[in-house]
Amino acid sequence: MNLNYSDEQQMLRDQIQKFCESDYSFEKREAIIKSDNGYDKDLWKMFSELGWLSVPFKEETGGLGYGPVELTILFEEFGKVLVVEPYLSTVVISGSILDNSNFSNKSKLIGSITSGEKHISLAYIESNQTFDHSSPSTTAISDGNTLVVNGMKSLVLNGGNADHIIASVMLDGEFALVLIDQELSGYSSNSYPTVDGQTCAEIQLENVSVPSESIIAKGEDAINLLSEAINLATLCISAESIGCMTACYLKTVEYTKERRQFDQPISNFQVLQHRMVDMFIETEMCKSLLYKAMLECDSNEPTKFKSVSGLKSQIGTAGKFVSQQAVQLHGGMGVSEELLIGHYLKKLVAIDSLFGNSSHHLNKYISS
Amino acid sequence: MEISFTEKDLQFRGQVRSWIKNDYPAHIKQKQNNGEKLSKQDIIDFHKALSLQGWMGYNWPVEYGGTGWSSTQIYIFQKEFGLAGCINILPFGVGMVGPVIYTFGSDEQKKRFLPNILNFDTWWCQGYSEPGSGSDLASLKTKAVKEGDHYIVNGSKTWTTLAQHADWIFCLVRTETTEKKQEGISFILIDMKTPGVEVEPIITIDGEHEVNAVFFTDVKVPAENLIGEEGKGWTYAKFLLAHERFGIAVVGASIRQLNILKDIVAGLKNPNLERKITELEINLNALEMLELRLLSDLENGGHPGAESSILKIRGTEIQQRLTELFVEASGEYALIYPGPHGHSNNQPAGPAHAAKSVSKFLNYRKASIYGGSNEIQKNIISKYILGL
Repeated sequence: MNLNYSDEQQMLRDQIQKFCESDYSFEKREAIIKSDNGYDKDLWKMFSELGWLSVPFKEETGGLGYGPVELTILFEEFGKVLVVEPYLSTVVISGSILDNSNFSNKSKLIGSITSGEKHISLAYIESNQTFDHSSPSTTAISDGNTLVVNGMKSLVLNGGNADHIIASVMLDGEFALVLIDQELSGYSSNSYPTVDGQTCAEIQLENVSVPSESIIAKGEDAINLLSEAINLATLCISAESIGCMTACYLKTVEYTKERRQFDQPISNFQVLQHRMVDMFIETEMCKSLLYKAMLECDSNEPTKFKSVSGLKSQIGTAGKFVSQQAVQLHGGMGVSEELLIGHYLKKLVAIDSLFGNSSHHLNKYISS
Repeated sequence: MEISFTEKDLQFRGQVRSWIKNDYPAHIKQKQNNGEKLSKQDIIDFHKALSLQGWMGYNWPVEYGGTGWSSTQIYIFQKEFGLAGCINILPFGVGMVGPVIYTFGSDEQKKRFLPNILNFDTWWCQGYSEPGSGSDLASLKTKAVKEGDHYIVNGSKTWTTLAQHADWIFCLVRTETTEKKQEGISFILIDMKTPGVEVEPIITIDGEHEVNAVFFTDVKVPAENLIGEEGKGWTYAKFLLAHERFGIAVVGASIRQLNILKDIVAGLKNPNLERKITELEINLNALEMLELRLLSDLENGGHPGAESSILKIRGTEIQQRLTELFVEASGEYALIYPGPHGHSNNQPAGPAHAAKSVSKFLNYRKASIYGGSNEIQKNIISKYILGL
């Protein structure tokens, strides 16, 4: 057994850490959020040049052939400075679906992701569903060489910037994933800010004519691609959450040592010391669950879904506890928009909501 | 023991309910029902309506224009307003500076300030916290130096709620540097229009502008605006903080939120969430009963003191927990964040309560920090009740 990162993995972490420390200040992040696209195109280009956009892809499709362990390294570091670039939606989710599919056009599309040219978002949520995503009301009807798609998708991560979406549809009555170009007539999107400073969109598909070679997968294959991608994404945001929690306790320790009340640093008060110890313990417990889940994902164990649910359930509760205590111990400063601390709370609320909250995953864990 | 209210108190409750039903400003109710943001004028209109009814001084004695209500009546009044989802009565004038003025102020000051509080012609804000003085309030540094018949005030206050709308601010200032820091503090009233007073917004994590930083640069304040004696400000401040703590449990408003939440969850088939809501309901029952016990004690000649800190701690914990459960009930739609101004013409799909749930969740993080943080409240209980 060896639960240490390899030298190569450590190098990847060092490289990402260096970027986060020198190129991702709070002020820069604020400016990116306020910009039109909500992410920085130059940084995205840089991610591509550094090879980060190629991390999870198989070598035969032009990737670096890394797996869940390397992805969690990247997300943990991103979580520490709250990177808002749409890595999750384009690279992890859409990337995973394409890379694991038999889709004819996948190499070209993956190439356009790793080069940083294109964004692709998964559109699988509809407002009338809860968490069962296997029977969408969006339909695709075959008509010769084309499919006619109708439906409404919501909570499409980075949907406003997507060049293509991968939409879940009922294709002539069978579940399928279909690639749809945003330039097609009948496609319209409405973008909204998310609580963590990113964006998501509602996408309307009205008699959109899609070439039939755009079908990525059908039936059981399509359902598996979807659940694999969501499971991997859940693992990634859990790692991101651990980055946030780590930053929360470190920054709180630092702040309480500086903040003086009653003629002494408030870090002298035992009640606050123990609170920070609890924040640290929660983070370490979550990190341990992350290791379990990420290693099971890495070796593709059948238990990986259950372990990810256990992790996500714990992350939801622990993340809120840690970030709420970070806010509390920063006092008024904690609720100010001008300090990163409050933004960790927002991120952790967003992470809890994404792909099923704590309660949802607890139920899933019980039933699996 | 007898748990029910007297016939007289029940009659009183009927009056309060009838006012809320018939006389609560219709345009405000409509906005609240539609989830629209209330304007400064709406808040003024509400207080004016209350004033017209003669209920603005709900906690004041009759001799200063108040209602002279018993503690039970005040309790009923506040609870009914909370249950009905009325706007909060702004505490700064009627709840805070008013009682300080009628208790410690001169006749001149009573005549000058009290009527304007009761008819809401003056909007007050509270100048207590400073950047370096939060929990340790007595370490405050804003200085007032006497020059002839004026004080010259220099310094800054922070987290000042709704200072952007306020006409006057009551401040704790340092008039003397003393060995014991509490002894050099005085209580002074400052017109916000005085040259040298500047208000800067602080935006909170819910994107709202509710609190401010207030700066004082060589602000000339007439000496007659000092309340009571120089150096006695800390005594008045403590008196005021005790006033602030009672009613902070906001049981009525929490019951209302709980009922709304139960309606939302009824259709979700989520036993986990239902269990959490039930636990919260039981906690809320305990809080309500604790408040009634303290009230009964007060009505029977007792002087409940530090026990009210339990109300602050548990009251705010329950409020915060409620906002968390609203977020949970929103599921994945909690992700969408319309910001403070919303997208009124452009509502995204998903449950209507989702976007508001997250904003409120973020906003209510303040509750365990303000009014003496919950850590400070626990210090009070440990010192004054447990004798530690």
